[in-house]
Amino acid sequence: MLENVSGINSSTALWYASRATGVVALLLLTAVVLLGLLVTRQGRLPGLPRFAVTGLHRNISLLAVAFVAVHVLTAVADTYVHIPLTAAVVPLASEYERLWIGLGAVSLDITIALIVTSLLRRHLSRRLWRAVHLLAYASWPVAWLHSITSSADMRHGWMFLLAVACALLVVVAVGWRQSAASRDVPRAERVGLLMAAVHGRDRASRR
Amino acid sequence: MTTATQGTPTEGTATGLPRLLPRHGQQPEDWYAHVARVGRLPYRDAPGRLISDLQAAGLTGRGGAAFPVHRKLAAVLEAAQARRRPPVVIANGAESEPASDKDATLLWLAPHLVLDGLQLAAEAVGAEQAILYTHADRRNDVGRRLRQAIAQRQAVAVDRVPVELAEAPPRFLAGQETALVNHLAGGPAIPTFTPPRITERGLAGAPTLVQNVETLAHLALIARRGPRWFRQVGTEAEPGSMLCTIRRSDGVPRITEVPLGVPLRALLAGPGEQGLREGAVLIGGYHGTWVPAAEAAKLTLDNHGLRRAGARVGAGILITLPQDRCGLVETALVVRYLALESAGQCGPCLNGLPRIAAALAELAGARPRRGTRANVERWAGLVTGRGACHHPDGAARFVRSALTTFAAELGRHERGRCGATDTTPFLPVPHDPARTEQDWI
Repeated sequence: MLENVSGINSSTALWYASRATGVVALLLLTAVVLLGLLVTRQGRLPGLPRFAVTGLHRNISLLAVAFVAVHVLTAVADTYVHIPLTAAVVPLASEYERLWIGLGAVSLDITIALIVTSLLRRHLSRRLWRAVHLLAYASWPVAWLHSITSSADMRHGWMFLLAVACALLVVVAVGWRQSAASRDVPRAERVGLLMAAVHGRDRASRR
Repeated sequence: MTTATQGTPTEGTATGLPRLLPRHGQQPEDWYAHVARVGRLPYRDAPGRLISDLQAAGLTGRGGAAFPVHRKLAAVLEAAQARRRPPVVIANGAESEPASDKDATLLWLAPHLVLDGLQLAAEAVGAEQAILYTHADRRNDVGRRLRQAIAQRQAVAVDRVPVELAEAPPRFLAGQETALVNHLAGGPAIPTFTPPRITERGLAGAPTLVQNVETLAHLALIARRGPRWFRQVGTEAEPGSMLCTIRRSDGVPRITEVPLGVPLRALLAGPGEQGLREGAVLIGGYHGTWVPAAEAAKLTLDNHGLRRAGARVGAGILITLPQDRCGLVETALVVRYLALESAGQCGPCLNGLPRIAAALAELAGARPRRGTRANVERWAGLVTGRGACHHPDGAARFVRSALTTFAAELGRHERGRCGATDTTPFLPVPHDPARTEQDWI
């Protein structure tokens, strides 16, 4: 009886699992992007030192990858629609929802590149790592499009609002990052400003 | 005291020294005087051959890091062969320590020895391009002197690799290897994170060998006289000699070539001077270590011997602080300079050094607040090891050693007193901090 009420039974479990992990993965990836933007500005979260923000960014990205892995494997294992394993990484290799699943594959490929280069970061030049890491700005919108287009769930109701909220958050955060960067003090002038500030404050507080 | 040179070379203490500087006089050597003194340039006629001699000699870098020279050359040669890319060799004469004068003096008096070493190092790694990187004039026109020397070598056709001259901006970090490569590539002289190591990918992506000019001068002599000759002075673990800039209480820099392992007592007290019972000695420059004079008198000038005082030979800077000066005031002025010379890239250095400098200025004044000393110690720990280069580490080491060496003086300042009777600054500190990006280029 219960099975009928929820719609989940042994033949649909994988499908539901795939959809659910997909939604969670989108939320986690959104968090990763927001934290990444915070890291680029050396920002802090209340109660956390700076290095913890970097650690959070890294760990949530690994968690997101775990969810994406389950999302992909359950979709492949599910027999209701046929999605070959290759379609997870090769764009347009799926008969079912060819273009929309293909977007997911593109996003996953970029994400794998981001993770691999970050794990090997010690051995790579900073420039190469950074060049690859900038692809995150392409990966997230593609993943978002994939979420919206390949799932009917996310086109309606509160799930749709959730997707819109994610997009808005990312857009606002990117805008904040850009405007903050444009207000940056040129490198050569930073130390002088700080010296003036520190010595000035010192004198004032001793008065 | 003559002032014809940057510093004043004096006779060394061991037999056979000085090796690098002309034995007599202050006159710069031209090509013929140079050949008459040390002999012709012994090319090996193939890459790699000199490297085993350098290994047997145990020559280490004289720019401060004391890295084995043969390992650097072997790394560059290997990278060049693996990537089929001719390497670049750079002689680093950008002696940025304001208290040091040994590289400028060497370049002024014996430029051909450095240029010989540059040629031999270029041959040893198979380089087709060589650059000599120096600061602009401090007192002598070193640049003009080097242009003359290079022209003279061209006239006698001794060089096999063309040598370019490049001028370093007057920044403390300008001689740091990655900063140097950035500058020569047309950018600001600021350090970058490694990897990639410049021995793998340096100037324009080519494997790059950077050696201090004194190191190259030693190399040129080892190529002529062999490793056994080199090891006749120095210690077993740290063979050879080195140029030191020694400032005793008169403040005049003396450039002296000494064997490694020489007792500091012999260097720091002039003839007839008592010295070294009170006061303090700065070993290794502004990234170096203050040591109480009584302790310094028991040390020898080699990294093994200095280790128990937490000091290193560095680029051979030894300074005796006169007893009429305040070590805290001197330290505060130097740390202010070091903070202003931060490249402003890495957070811990950019934010940490100005705070440490302000706190030290407070400790150097009368009746500092309680807790300021503890703050300095804490911040010194926080900045260490957290930059692209070792600037914050060196500054932190300098500051910490001051807090322990001048502990008694700190106590006097807390009571509103100061031990100094002379308030004119003793340690040389430039007063021209960078204001714009142009000042780094």
